[in-house]
Amino acid sequence: MHTLDDAAIEYLLGFADDELCVGQNHSWWIAVGPFLEEDLAFSSIAQDELGHARMLYEFLELEESVDQIAYGRDPREYRSAHIAELRCHQWPEALVRHVLYDLAEEVRWRALSKGSWKGIAAIATRAIAEERFHLQHALSLAERLLATAEGRKRLLPSFQRLAPMGQELFRVNLDELQLVESGLLSSPLIDQKNSWIKNVETFLDLFNCEINWEQFQDAPGREGMRSSDFESLHAEMIEVLSLDPNAKW
Amino acid sequence: MKTYEVFLKKAGKEPFGHAGSLDAPDDHMALLFARDSYGRRSEGEQIWVVSRDHILEGNQSDLALADRSHKHNDGQRVSELRTNQRLKKELGE
Repeated sequence: MHTLDDAAIEYLLGFADDELCVGQNHSWWIAVGPFLEEDLAFSSIAQDELGHARMLYEFLELEESVDQIAYGRDPREYRSAHIAELRCHQWPEALVRHVLYDLAEEVRWRALSKGSWKGIAAIATRAIAEERFHLQHALSLAERLLATAEGRKRLLPSFQRLAPMGQELFRVNLDELQLVESGLLSSPLIDQKNSWIKNVETFLDLFNCEINWEQFQDAPGREGMRSSDFESLHAEMIEVLSLDPNAKW
Repeated sequence: MKTYEVFLKKAGKEPFGHAGSLDAPDDHMALLFARDSYGRRSEGEQIWVVSRDHILEGNQSDLALADRSHKHNDGQRVSELRTNQRLKKELGE
């Protein structure tokens, strides 16, 4: 039996907040995707990410309702990584974040699914089943676009800018060794980060794109500092709730 | 982009039915988009995706011949004949 210690709560809350922000950000593209099929696929992925956030918030068994946790916290209480909060309102950027984020998710969920916490492992196994499609979608589309000179011109600068930021996904504000000791994670965050970096590099090597990983090393999001994009993202999240706090979906 | 036609088969003995069409850059992406566009809510248990280039289209005017009513048989005349015969028998005629 596991105990939800502080490190576990910090880590899972961070993951859930990442999913919430990315899901909300992806949904910005509903009805304005580059073409109808992509619009549907991307919206469907957005829904899945929000679903993952919900499963994680529920697992935390916090005192407030899931809606209250997701939408009602003070900005400083969120733990999302800044790459998740980024308002990618240019399609190349949105696609690049999708690639980087889902490559990271694959590694992160796997470490949870192989950990010894049964409840969270079951959630992770379910998420991995969906992630398979997200990753196929992200990599297939990016690969095809990167095969053209125009695609490389539009996507590679975003990879170079966003990939270093992605390292924050593998950070937590508290002692990360505790996460492995308690059995929550089957492998330490540093190892997870390194396999993610390897996967990103293997993909980008095909297109002669190098990343300067030193560019971004901080974890301000995990420490409670929100990026400048968070305010508008959060306002969008609570747009309906602030009109009608009792709105039912 | 190429156009593809998507067919879905529900569980059981249902035949494949046309679900709709989609545009995709190639066969691989067509399969991915087919799932997201037509099967993301588990609408079917099997999916076929066919490039529209591979569909043979018949001549429309070949289907629109004048009066083909003699090809239709709803069984009504046979059914009336039999009912009358049975009634006659029952009445002992």
